[in-house]
Amino acid sequence: MSMMSPIAPPLMRRLTVAQGDSIVSGDPDVEFTTVLGSCVAVCLHDGRAGVGGMNHFLLAEPAPIANEDARLLNRYGVHSMELLINAMLKQGAIRQNLKARIYGGATMRQGLGEIGNSNIQFARRFLTNENIAILGENVGGVSARRVEFRPAAGLSRCKTVSTQPVEQIIIKSPPVSGDVELF
Amino acid sequence: MSRRILTVDDSPSMRMLLRAALTEQGFTVFEAEDGVDALEKLETATPDLVITDINMPRMDGFELIEALRTGDVQAGLPILVLTTEASDEKKARARSAGATGWIVKPFDREKLGAAIRRVLH
Repeated sequence: MSMMSPIAPPLMRRLTVAQGDSIVSGDPDVEFTTVLGSCVAVCLHDGRAGVGGMNHFLLAEPAPIANEDARLLNRYGVHSMELLINAMLKQGAIRQNLKARIYGGATMRQGLGEIGNSNIQFARRFLTNENIAILGENVGGVSARRVEFRPAAGLSRCKTVSTQPVEQIIIKSPPVSGDVELF
Repeated sequence: MSRRILTVDDSPSMRMLLRAALTEQGFTVFEAEDGVDALEKLETATPDLVITDINMPRMDGFELIEALRTGDVQAGLPILVLTTEASDEKKARARSAGATGWIVKPFDREKLGAAIRRVLH
């Protein structure tokens, strides 16, 4: 009987998707991962192009009167979604082929329930408006989630990680945004 | 009379966000979903300013600017580019095609409004 060791699974390169980030890849050896409380992550995949992407946004939409630094707007879902879709198209995806899964939007603390729910509603509404099919979702509840997504294959899994808050509300500023230059 | 702005973007959500930001500041907004749609709308409509995205299907923002500057549609019509792109190369391409300005998304409502008012006056 052979004593050969079983072949180990290939190592995946794991990339963490932080608040405000949108990451896209067609590399079969890459896996995206993120931990969500009330935030929402949308995973997009184009099976024909073999390209996938994930974002992670904190708030659904700007307040009706947004008088804040534009650098902070990246946390809002609408901008995050556009960055994600544009990055997908740049890597060869076709808008009509995009399929989506939605994760997160938990109620992590008393009083923050509306944030998670608003994020879920936003993601559903945005994807419907953009005619992007929603293949599935794992949203709501009171527990944090860890989401893992293999962008090239479009495979994702979601695990409940804790009932305790894991998410600090930290606003990351993207390097450039809102800049105006008149020629 | 409020100034009329044509917004050109393939994302319905972004058009909605732009419409809310611009109407709140007193502008009248009408919309197109890409360059081809914009050119069709401009055959009959006469905006005071165009705001266009760059990455769009059928006809992108660069092609739209070139078509507007070489065609006979309202010579001198101000065209602001509103895009997630921030590269100097693309900005230079838009400038040489005849764009009036370049604004990087995500946009700030007040900065956008101020830029429009500056261009229109």
